[in-house]
Amino acid sequence: MLVSKSFRWSDLRSTSAMVGLLALSVVPHARSDQGVLDTLQVHGFLSQALIITDDNNFFGPSSEDDGSLKFTEIGANASLRPHENVLLAAQVLSRRAGGDGKEASPTLDYGLLDYQMLSDQQRTFGVQLGRVKNPFGFYNQTRDVAFTRPSILLPQSIYFDRTRSLALAGDGITLYHEERLDTGALRLQAGVGQARVEDDVERTLGLERFPGSLEAESSAIGQIRYEHDGGRIVTALSAASVNADYDSPNGSPGNGTFQFQPWVLSFQYNEELWSLTAEYAIRQLKLEDFTALSDTDKDGESWYVQYTRRFHHDWQWLVRYDSLVNDRDDRSGEAFAASTGGAVPAHSQFADDITLGLQWTPHPRLMLAGEYHYVDGTAWLPSQDNPDPAATERRWSMLLFQFSVRF
Amino acid sequence: MRRLSRLTVMALMLLAGPLSAGAANAVDASRILLVAHPGVDTHQLKRDTTRAIFAMRQRTWPDGQAVRVYVLDNHHPVHTRFAKEQLSVYPHQLQLAWDRMVFSGTGQAPNRVRDQAEMRERIATTPGALGYLEREYLDARIQVISME
Repeated sequence: MLVSKSFRWSDLRSTSAMVGLLALSVVPHARSDQGVLDTLQVHGFLSQALIITDDNNFFGPSSEDDGSLKFTEIGANASLRPHENVLLAAQVLSRRAGGDGKEASPTLDYGLLDYQMLSDQQRTFGVQLGRVKNPFGFYNQTRDVAFTRPSILLPQSIYFDRTRSLALAGDGITLYHEERLDTGALRLQAGVGQARVEDDVERTLGLERFPGSLEAESSAIGQIRYEHDGGRIVTALSAASVNADYDSPNGSPGNGTFQFQPWVLSFQYNEELWSLTAEYAIRQLKLEDFTALSDTDKDGESWYVQYTRRFHHDWQWLVRYDSLVNDRDDRSGEAFAASTGGAVPAHSQFADDITLGLQWTPHPRLMLAGEYHYVDGTAWLPSQDNPDPAATERRWSMLLFQFSVRF
Repeated sequence: MRRLSRLTVMALMLLAGPLSAGAANAVDASRILLVAHPGVDTHQLKRDTTRAIFAMRQRTWPDGQAVRVYVLDNHHPVHTRFAKEQLSVYPHQLQLAWDRMVFSGTGQAPNRVRDQAEMRERIATTPGALGYLEREYLDARIQVISME
């Protein structure tokens, strides 16, 4: 509880700092140069989903009669160019994905100053300061914006909710570089700072029952991306190292360290009417030095292959196979289940998801989507929606509908 | 009639002076031209640079002036042709690139115009403006940028 409180406060502080920064930068220029205000842009989005499952709960009581409406995403952002090389941008996000609604309080999603110090015919180079969205895989930076997703849910093997705060954004400094080669563009991005470690991480690690808290240490993220032939072929490699210390007020579970090192390899082929996308990820998770918990060192593995097809101008359908294991050395989850004495079923350690989806964008500001998932395993099923793992079904299916608008 | 309009355009380009010299070399009359505000000092852009600017990843002209990018609707045939023929990208890729910039705080959306007449007005009157037009929409206030 303490943690979430302090994070909200710091969000509030940084939000007001950002607003102040925006205001400061507008005022002096607004007098001298009307052009600066001309660069002000305000955008936003709202998405509401209905989720129906036959068994297990996803983002609320989805297996009950009427399904769950507890998946809502609302965001608004503003950006401004006070100087030709400088961009100021901030976004506030309110997101509910199950839970009791507490998590839906608005937070600062990003707030940054971007200084593009070099831009000529051959390259651009710049620096970003503030809260920056992590360039992780193809979709992470805008994972909460329905219009940038190919489906209502991103492939959950990589973009799962359980430790989403870690993946979202970092508070620090990021450098970016784009180099134009004869065959395509090479883009590099690297950042250091403090990751966001919130309640979801403790819950997933099973630490929420203890009075202590995880404190974020310095973390790093990098992405190298190559876009061939105007983006017909896109490949990327992303890597991150997230560190946190557990501060335990008493002997149980004791002070400990948490380390998370994910790698993602991404590939996409684009044609006018279709795209083929695949990503593969390895997630190395280490818990060390706790007195009440044994050391953990696990490599999780995720991958998906996805085909999207555009038709009739504003329609798109999608088919995807998505697969996750929590521990490469225990793909069936049997060893894990045995270690819990059967209290946690083996199917909680993997998930294979077949998805069929349809999107209709009758107007650039409006999107309607529907999709069907058939899932074997519950590895990415949010634990807050399913507090008793033994009560979950191994094979389950899910139907989602979503309405999205933006401006 | 066609010849006449072409002659007019040639005359206009001569009037516009050496800035539009690049355009006179353009052989294909139906090609969609890259156009800019007459005050822009850059007269030539590489295709990759042009693509980075239209994708909103590069925010200034190579000489440092701020770029203001103007585009037509995604389904407008001139936009579609410009994206595919001149930038070698599909309109859906551009739209996705813009959405990702706008909603991750790494860039801004381009300015939308309704039709080519409005494009011409905005390009002619906005310092740093960059857009595209069919040849028949050119006038003396518009600078044609040649693309390598």
